[in-house]
Amino acid sequence: MRPMIRFENIQKRFGNELVLKGVNLTINEGEFVAVIGASGGGKTTLIRTVNGFVVPSAGNVYVNEQRVDYANLGNLRQLRKNVGMIYQLFNLVERTSAMHNVLTGTLGSKDKALDIILSAIGYFSKSDRKKAMEILDFVGLKDKAGARVDMISGGQKQRVAIARALMQDPTVLLADEPIANLDPKTSQRILDLLHKVNQERNITVVTVIHHFHMVKDYFSRVIAMKDGQVAFDGDPLLLEKQEALESIYGGQFEEELAVAA
Amino acid sequence: MSNHLRAFAKKVLLPVFCLATLIYAFNVSAFSFGALSKGLPMMGDMLLEMTPPNFTFWRRYLSLMWETIVIGVWGTFLGTLISLPIGFLAATNTSPSKWIYAFFKSLVTLTRSIPELVYALILVAAVGIGNLPGIIAIMIHTVGLASKFFSEAIENVDRKPVEAVSSTGSLFIHVIRHSILPQLTTLFSGYTLFILDHNIRVTVAVGIVGAGGIGLELFRRMRQFQYDQVAAMIIIIFLVVLVIDRISAYVRQETIKGTFLSRQNRRWDWPILGGLFVLLGVSLPNVFGQLGGLLRGLPVIAEIILNMIPPDFSETPKYLGLMVETLGMAIAGTVLAVLASIVIGILAARNIMRFRLVTWAMSGVTTFLRAMPDILFALFFVVAVGLGPFAGVVALMLSSIGFLGKFYAEAIENIDPRVVEAIDATGAHPLQRIGHAVVPQVLPLFNNYNLYVLDRNVRASTVLGIVGAGGIGFELTISMRMYNWPQAIAIILLIFAVILAVDYLSTYLRKKIV
Repeated sequence: MRPMIRFENIQKRFGNELVLKGVNLTINEGEFVAVIGASGGGKTTLIRTVNGFVVPSAGNVYVNEQRVDYANLGNLRQLRKNVGMIYQLFNLVERTSAMHNVLTGTLGSKDKALDIILSAIGYFSKSDRKKAMEILDFVGLKDKAGARVDMISGGQKQRVAIARALMQDPTVLLADEPIANLDPKTSQRILDLLHKVNQERNITVVTVIHHFHMVKDYFSRVIAMKDGQVAFDGDPLLLEKQEALESIYGGQFEEELAVAA
Repeated sequence: MSNHLRAFAKKVLLPVFCLATLIYAFNVSAFSFGALSKGLPMMGDMLLEMTPPNFTFWRRYLSLMWETIVIGVWGTFLGTLISLPIGFLAATNTSPSKWIYAFFKSLVTLTRSIPELVYALILVAAVGIGNLPGIIAIMIHTVGLASKFFSEAIENVDRKPVEAVSSTGSLFIHVIRHSILPQLTTLFSGYTLFILDHNIRVTVAVGIVGAGGIGLELFRRMRQFQYDQVAAMIIIIFLVVLVIDRISAYVRQETIKGTFLSRQNRRWDWPILGGLFVLLGVSLPNVFGQLGGLLRGLPVIAEIILNMIPPDFSETPKYLGLMVETLGMAIAGTVLAVLASIVIGILAARNIMRFRLVTWAMSGVTTFLRAMPDILFALFFVVAVGLGPFAGVVALMLSSIGFLGKFYAEAIENIDPRVVEAIDATGAHPLQRIGHAVVPQVLPLFNNYNLYVLDRNVRASTVLGIVGAGGIGFELTISMRMYNWPQAIAIILLIFAVILAVDYLSTYLRKKIV
């Protein structure tokens, strides 16, 4: 088991508030991990330190045994190319096609000046297009390649976002509340797809999920964040007990239980 | 096959057509960097002569500025009063019959499609130089704008309260009073303020052709080459327009929030409202005093209108040639403004440009360019680069930068940062970020604004010729000066037709963009 992501005493301060209070964690290659917890627990902040959208106030993050150097923009580009990310609101480029959105996943792999300029003005090679089509097929959207992304459903948008991330050939896929805006049925399909990504492409997947009830069917490892610290790390079956959940979700527990039931 | 043809048309024919139009436009509008660089020393001289501005006659200029405000406020006030009933008659859901609707709807379109300077010219010819033609021209212009806004607002009212009141068996007038008006007061006052704000600038412009206020004095001093005086007037105009703009923006905001005249704002709001009524009251004798002039002018107006029939279309080929030049000016001015505004918009966008001094300076420039009427720029460039369409192109470019620079900056400031982050998350280079996260978000907005400005520039370009800045306007002034009314009306009808056509085209294209 090779460590893929290692958090070493990560702290993050926003103003006067300490959002992460020294997090130590190791996520191994090929793992499929959920990060759960109440709002404001620091879940999203934690995973955003992995690709540098949050710079820790103290501590180090190692991706694939390499220390993340937040100050070096070249290294950061390379890191982001290797770490795909999907979002709660999909963050697609609206008014353009699904194909175009998937092609933007190749941007990080262009490092010659000419390639950067050509891709910036929207020119992509035949092999890029071929690969984008294969990935659209993989996520089940081959027939929507030409569709404008503001004309497709939420579930389809998230598939396009996953395809965009896969286009990067990432070793890690971060997902920030990927199903929070989707209905239960679609949510399951998206989690199925993430699982397939993990299994078939050997990509380490770390996903932030607010609701516990979706977690236990899919994940064998769950990390619970509470008040900026790891409150639980292990098999979700161990969390079934009410007291354990209550301690993680605190005041929000009632609501959580209502959804689960 | 037809798919291939369509793709060919889209990929090859359309760009070629656009490029050809563009080259032609620059060609007919006599745009040349040579002329521009020759004009530069002249412009430098003019700017030198402007400094320092000569405020010796500041009292006179302030009183003329006051006159301009009076003209603008009265014109807006009367125009709005007239627009209220017209708005209801020209709205599908409140008009008593289809025919009345069609009549008023076309009347509003007609009124709106003739440039305000044309009204001013005719009125100056009829009642002489002074404030009255200004007030009437602004009034007609306001009717064109306000009636359209009002009728659209009325057509968009929520139908449920209307049904509720109708179902009580009320009279139609009561339905309007109790179910439609309450929904509209906020919108109407917002539009009216917006128009008032816009009309102060328009009043300066109509003054230049003789319809009273500071514009008239500005034109005189320009012609006497007293640029230091001109500079003083421009500064006064700019400051006053800026103050009115801020007050109007404040009141609009308060009306939308519903806090105008609320307890905590009364300290400011009563003086503003009171000031407006004092202005109307104080200037009332002046305005009434001129009614005599209007009455005397009425037979002249009737005579002019009678003389206009039948229109004399014998010179149509010549007019069409001038119309092409006019459109060329509008296109060239718009394209140059678009190019310049992309730079200015980026420099003025606070989320891209980190240096506050730069964003502040850029928004200062665009505010100034917006505050000045385009015909004033035309006056300047006629002196700097000579009579002809090129002066018009530069004037249109400058006033368009005032709008586009601001709109672009706002569009850039409002891009969705989440999309930018998602593109960054792929490891994109900053250039790729601009190409894939910024441009796709702002381009549809930019194009929408560009069409709006092109539309506006076509209107403006038809009248810039009045001061010699090219296009059909020059021919219009000449025919009016020579009292050749049949020719004048032929030109006006042609202007009307072109503006209407461009209006429809840009509305169509704007729908396509969304």
